[in-house]
Amino acid sequence: MTATIGHYCIVIAFFLALWGIIAPLLTYRTGREVFFSSTRAGILGQFILVTAASSSLIYALVTTDFSIKYVAFNTTRATPIYYRVTGLWGALEGSLLLWEWLLVIFSGLVSWVYRDRHRELMPWVLLIFSTVSAFFLAVLAFASNPFEILSPPPLDGRGLNPLLEDSNMITHPPLLYTGFVGLTVPYAFAMAALIIGRVDEAWIKTTRRWTIVAWFFLTMGNLVGAWWSYHVLGWGGYWAWDPVENAAFMPWLPATAFLHSIQVQERRRMLKIWNLSLIIIAFSLTLFGTFLTRSGILSSVHAFSSGPVGAFFLSFLAVVLLGSFGLLAYRAEHLRGQAEFDSMLSRESAFLLNNVALVSALFTIFLGTIFPLLSEAVTGVQVSVGAPYFNSVTVPLFLLLVFLMGVGPMIAWRRASWNNLKRNFLWPAAASMAVALSLFAWRIRDFLPLLGFMLSAFVVFTIFLDTVRAVRARRRLAGEGTAAALATLVRHNQRRYGGLVVHLGIVLIALGIAGSMSYSVERQATLGIGQSLAIGPYKIRFEGMRGLQQPTHFRVEAAFRILNGGSESKLYTPALKFFPNQQSPVGRAVFRSTLADDLYMILSGFSEVGRNQATLKALVRPLVAWMWIGGGVIVLGTILALWPFDVSATEQDEDRVA
Amino acid sequence: MSRSKRFLIGGLIILAALSYLIYGGMREAIVYFVTPAELKGQENSSKGKSLRLGGMVVAGSLQKDLQALTYRFQVTDGVVSIPVFFHGVPPDLFSEGKGAVVEGRMGDDGVFLATTIMAKHAEEYSPPHTGKPSAPHSFVPGSEEKKP
Repeated sequence: MTATIGHYCIVIAFFLALWGIIAPLLTYRTGREVFFSSTRAGILGQFILVTAASSSLIYALVTTDFSIKYVAFNTTRATPIYYRVTGLWGALEGSLLLWEWLLVIFSGLVSWVYRDRHRELMPWVLLIFSTVSAFFLAVLAFASNPFEILSPPPLDGRGLNPLLEDSNMITHPPLLYTGFVGLTVPYAFAMAALIIGRVDEAWIKTTRRWTIVAWFFLTMGNLVGAWWSYHVLGWGGYWAWDPVENAAFMPWLPATAFLHSIQVQERRRMLKIWNLSLIIIAFSLTLFGTFLTRSGILSSVHAFSSGPVGAFFLSFLAVVLLGSFGLLAYRAEHLRGQAEFDSMLSRESAFLLNNVALVSALFTIFLGTIFPLLSEAVTGVQVSVGAPYFNSVTVPLFLLLVFLMGVGPMIAWRRASWNNLKRNFLWPAAASMAVALSLFAWRIRDFLPLLGFMLSAFVVFTIFLDTVRAVRARRRLAGEGTAAALATLVRHNQRRYGGLVVHLGIVLIALGIAGSMSYSVERQATLGIGQSLAIGPYKIRFEGMRGLQQPTHFRVEAAFRILNGGSESKLYTPALKFFPNQQSPVGRAVFRSTLADDLYMILSGFSEVGRNQATLKALVRPLVAWMWIGGGVIVLGTILALWPFDVSATEQDEDRVA
Repeated sequence: MSRSKRFLIGGLIILAALSYLIYGGMREAIVYFVTPAELKGQENSSKGKSLRLGGMVVAGSLQKDLQALTYRFQVTDGVVSIPVFFHGVPPDLFSEGKGAVVEGRMGDDGVFLATTIMAKHAEEYSPPHTGKPSAPHSFVPGSEEKKP
């Protein structure tokens, strides 16, 4: 019953989405308002139907309705209720449904927010949304049906992959998907602007906030993914340059580039074609990522034909790329920039260089990700491209980006004078040099981490110097106290200060990456009770082990204490979890996190007789905690940039100052 | 020199630098995937190259020393077996009679020196010519293909 409701909701929504493509064309042809109204009604209808379909699947998951194949494969009777709900994005069909659900939520929001505005653009915006929606609904209805019936229904389900039973899995996929889907908004407006030939800055101004929101979710989605990998996968790392990780990360690069280069267009009316290309690429990459991870192509190019989903995605991707770039070429003559670059030393150039670095990183990662596929398809030789490739190529690019985070926000537009450069960068450069020298004198002797730390310090100093100067000026002019002056500044320049805070967050993440990539230590040993393993400044002593029966699995945990000098820590208990439906145990690593370093402990084996021996793998990873703190700072910066501070109060404030 | 020319030259320099980085990075990091039979056939040409060897761990071949954390075993494709030596901690899924992919280099004595072991669920194992190992440590929402 539930399955029938869900499936029919999707089929009807698919036809509504088709109407959402036809009606705007009729609006344009006939000029009759009724067709536009019906487009909007169609968007609302899709929203209601897809919400109903998603609710049906959630209901089926929660009530463990095993007559639905998806439910049987992703829950068991023993699964706690919240993991039953998150089963919605535990596998392919459900996560496509989640994607479509988010998409209709976004298109509904856009349709509602701009109900009285952008009368000329909106039909085309909704047409783009309906096209994307129709595609996903077609996949859900015809290729990858989440409501497929399993007959006869099994007595119990197979259950979620145990690795997904983690609180981060509740947030990671929705965050990432919100970021992916959010990019549809600027993309739809960009295409609409191209279609009607109004290629000024209007679409950028309209979608700026949406873009920031999408970027934010994309960033958080990737960070939480890294955190999950670190926290749950138990290998002591957070990023492996695996194709599925790359698929999630790649859209972030053009999205970040776009966020910066649209400022050049707003300010100087340059880079129009470039900006349109970036948003097309960013949007296409969200589809490409799904194609890559869902088509089976990663396991082998020959596995591509094993399911219809890959073919659906590849065809749609081709349509999107050809259509978008075709449209771009068609409008190319309207898109000539009105201004030229005045100087290499200018904010435009800094932003352009930032874009070049981001796009280069994208190209590098893209090439590394698809190279094994190309190699197998062309020469038949199976290869894989290891993490060293990605690290060695992208690290210099990311270091350049960190440097530009210091330069870009402070350097003058058009042409930076010698005075401007000296005023903004002399002290930060000197101070960061001093930081580098002291680190060198202390014990950091390797070039890349030293450069990383120095550039990070440079960014912090430029932001600090700029803010201190602005606060001082305000105190002098308006007679405010330091805190009040800072508050006024931030409220009056939300985007700027929000952006600077986000930059600080990125710098913290860079610190975490630099520290943990360069100075990790790894040791492993089999220990008897009372024996200890020395790693870095610590000793880890094995205290004993025990077995515990849990609701869904049997858990074997070993207890360790960390000894540092004379002090003893509490007990840490890395564990192995034995699930009845899985052949091999799942490791549960534990770690002690401090601001200086994380001590990461993995139980990789134990003697079943006597329970007196445990094989421990331990890692010391410096500065990792700063990555997660950086994530928090990015949240803060984004809120600062987007928070609707009371507009009238701001105006009054300005009056008072004047 | 005109402005556009300067930008062109700048662009070319960046392109050259990037190509150099990519070329160098690829040369260092490419790992070739081989089966035991392929490795046997090309023992000389594969010396020193980074390799991934895929197959089944021969039942009864595993000799482990938990104190020294050394593992010796044979990897087979059913026809040819290759002896493997590994020092470290293998993943949870690693055991005799199951599929495994080992990464490392061929030693002079004909023993494969593994630096990493990637194990697979036996139910999901397929010989390398039809399926590469799924990466052990990665996940993007829902990318786990469920199999009945």
